[in-house]
Parts: sequence; structure tokens; C-alpha cells
Amino acid sequence: MTRLTRRGLLGTTAVLGVGLMAAPHVLRAQSRPKVVVIGGGAAGATVAKYVARDSKGAIEVALVEPKETYTTCFYSNLYLAGWRTLESITHRYVNLVQKYGVVHYRDMAVDVDTGKKVVRLASGRELPYDKLVVAPGIDFRYEAIEGYDEAAAMDMPHAYQAGEQTALLRAQLEAMEDGGTVVIAPPPNPYRCPPGPYERTSLIANYLKKHKPKSKIVVCDPKDKFSKQALFQDAWQRYYEGMIEWIPGELGGRVVKVDTKEMTVTLEGGDVIKASVANIIPPQKAGWIAHRAGLTDDSGWCPIDPDSMASRVARDVYVLGDASIASKMPKSGFAANSQAKVVAMDIRHQLLGDRRFPARYRNTCWSSVADDDAVKVGASYKAGETMIEVVDKFISKVDEPPEVRAQTRAEADAWYESITQDIFA
Amino acid sequence: MVAEGRAEGDPAYGEYLANECTACHPPDVTDGVIPPLWLLPTDYFIDALRAYRSGERENPVMQAVARALGDEEIESLAAYFADLREQKGGS
Repeated sequence: MTRLTRRGLLGTTAVLGVGLMAAPHVLRAQSRPKVVVIGGGAAGATVAKYVARDSKGAIEVALVEPKETYTTCFYSNLYLAGWRTLESITHRYVNLVQKYGVVHYRDMAVDVDTGKKVVRLASGRELPYDKLVVAPGIDFRYEAIEGYDEAAAMDMPHAYQAGEQTALLRAQLEAMEDGGTVVIAPPPNPYRCPPGPYERTSLIANYLKKHKPKSKIVVCDPKDKFSKQALFQDAWQRYYEGMIEWIPGELGGRVVKVDTKEMTVTLEGGDVIKASVANIIPPQKAGWIAHRAGLTDDSGWCPIDPDSMASRVARDVYVLGDASIASKMPKSGFAANSQAKVVAMDIRHQLLGDRRFPARYRNTCWSSVADDDAVKVGASYKAGETMIEVVDKFISKVDEPPEVRAQTRAEADAWYESITQDIFA
Repeated sequence: MVAEGRAEGDPAYGEYLANECTACHPPDVTDGVIPPLWLLPTDYFIDALRAYRSGERENPVMQAVARALGDEEIESLAAYFADLREQKGGS
């Protein structure tokens, strides 16, 4: 990455000037401000849609996303349970392109020059921008677990970037004999979808109880507590008694080594567990391009301005979703979608002078724990002086009646349909 | 078509605030348990949000949403959804 220089700026202007004089039709095209969005997940796709839709063509929006379709990580645990198909949680970008005029580059961003304000793609194409949105989601710190890398993930899937990995984990669960041991290794904080590994534990147990009831799940955790813990542990007791063992960090639960040939998982406490299926979710960091663009800090995530999600490192760049440091806001699809709407508003304000309103953020996470039982947690947030702050929050209660839980389960399904339409339709 | 009370709020502000609603509420009628908001009569919409805010109406998600809304925000949302209903040709 090169930093902003006067020479670089003048050079860009000169080249543009010649182009404009030579071809008047380019003038119109180039006079529209350009927004480039890297990443087509809940964060990036929502920004692309909202900027293109609400600017009514006044802003040119490019979405850089190699994949033709996006499989949501949220709700992928329901696929692991056998409740949903992979197709039902897979979405296309066709509406963003056809209804709102977003240009979808099926290509990978390989470099960002935040000085010259250009994104370079794997194909060699360069996309200049007035505003850049970086929403690459997560990457894994593979080096943290001995023996675990991208190749090992084909034997011991993380299934924490949905799609092929999720299908692999499901296939392994289906192939497993009754009486097998499933190891689930949640990551340390901070990571994508804090209740995710525990919802996954519940729903894999749900599948096993119906189809392979002699099987067991061992949750090998680096942490001593986790999101919605009382709610999950209550559900495990009520629905899956004797099937789930949770080993917290203080009892040596952290996975330090794996052997994919022997299918063994070694814990910090010294135990070696022979797994039939191992779901290893490594520690995480912001997606690769955020590091390449120099947008991360020592934590491996991207610091942002709480009022706009603008990068604190580079001008005219926003970072949102899982890659950002949103303080109390969890890394979730809901949070990413919420942040995207603030970013889209700020972009329209900056580029078109549209009205600006105070930033408001929300998150709600539903977790299914059994066929007719789901729990939820949520909060409202505002921009504080230095970070995003909680305004109000709630969490489901352990002793709620079954009707309330069944209603929450139905609500989760309705939410999934709405948010995926909000992002992709 | 029955005439109904129009909200006093600012629909442009309401449109921005409504972005929070569309994460859960669908754009059109579905068989799910969460209703499209433009379908609700304006007075009912305002009363419901106030009832969630006071805790008189149940549902922790909606209570938390409503507690983060002042009267100006509720009126603005109502004005925006009333406009949307008109655009969709409903009453």
C-alpha cells in the first residue's frame, strides 16, 4: 500500500483530464461519484444495495465479491441439524445488479491504495473510488493450533465461513456411526457470532438424539463463560441430558494441537480426545484484505469512528461488520446489516449532500436450541465519544413458558426471511 | 377506503429509522409471524409502539426497540409508513 502523496494525486488528475477531453460520454460516467464495496456478505451487500437504491443511480456502486452466491453463516446451524437445505440459506446478487444497478465484479480484491484511492483486483483491473467500503468478514489465525491449517480444515472443518465447509461438516455427521464422539472447539473472544458454537452444539445434539442417540458431544472451550450460557446449559439439560460435556478453559479445555490422521484433539489440560467428527473453529482476525490495506491495529481488527464506521486509519474508507472493532456490538449478521445502513447514509451525505441523522445501531441474535425452542438476546446502540455504546438490552429468561419459546422459534424463521430480503432482494 | 389520522412526523427521518425495522419486518405479506409495517393503520402503529415502550405489550425485542424511540421518532416512523402505504395503494 502506498500512502497519499501530492505527486500521486496530481498524476491521477492528469490522466483523468485527458480521458475526459477525449471522450465526452466518459465525462457523464466519470462525473458520478464511485463507491467500491469489498465483500458481499451481510455488511457489504447491504451497503451496496442501500447506496445504489437510495441514491437512485446518482452514485456508481461496484461490489467486489468472487462468489456468485452467498451462503449465510447465520442459520447454517439449522442446516447442520437437518432442518434446512443449503439452498434455502444461499442467496444470489442478481437483484442488486438488476434492480439497483450495482456492478458485481466476480473477482478478488488483492490490494488497496488508500492514497491514490484505487482497489486492485486479481484480474489486474483497477477500480478507483471516492468512498471505499471494506467488509471482508473474518479470517482464521491458523497458526494458533498446532497441526491445523487450511488443508486440515478439509478433515476437521471449521464450518465458520458457510458453504463448502458447512456441507462438509454435515456430511461427516451423516456418515458418523451411532456412538461416535463429536468434538466442537469454539474460538476465544472476539469472534463471529458469539452464541454460534453453542447453538451449533444444541442443534448437532438435536440431530444426534434423533438419528444416533448413543453419540456424544465434547465442547473444548478456551473460555470460562460464553454467550447465553445459562440458557444453553438449561436447554442441554432439558433436551440432551448426558449427551454434551463442556470443558471450560479453566479446566484445560483449549485445543492446542490436532492430528487429522489419527483424528485426535489435544487439550491444554493434557487430555487427548479421539474424535469421530471434529469441528475446530480457530481464533479469528479481520479478513485478509483489511490487513493488506493497512486498516487493522495490533488486535488484528479494524478501529472505526463510532458515528459512521469510517476507518480511523485511512480517509474515505469505511470498515464494518465482523472485521470492525464495534466494541459492545457483537460480530453478527444482524449487526453488520445495521451498521451498513449507517454507512450508506453517511456515504450519501458525503457524496450527494443528502440529510444525515444520528447513528443508531441494533442487534438481535436468535439461537435455536430444540425443535420448538429458541432464545434471543438483543440491544440498541448509539455512537459514544470513542466507541459504540449500549442504550438498552434484553435477554430471554431461563424459566419462560414453552409457548414463549415456540413463538421465539417462529420469530427467528420470520426474521431470517426478512433480513435476507433486506440484504439481497 | 377509510380516512385515518395522519402522523405529524418527518417521513425522511422516518425512512432512516425504518431501516432498523426492515431487518425483521418483511416488505410484503408473508406467512411468517412478523407483519409488514406499512400494513398497520397509523393510529394502531403509534399505540403499539407506545405500549411496547411502557412495557404494557409483551415481546422483549419490540420493547427494547421502542424504548430507544422518543415520540418524535415514533411519529416520524408512522409518517413514513403511511406514505409507503399510499404508494402501495393500500388504505
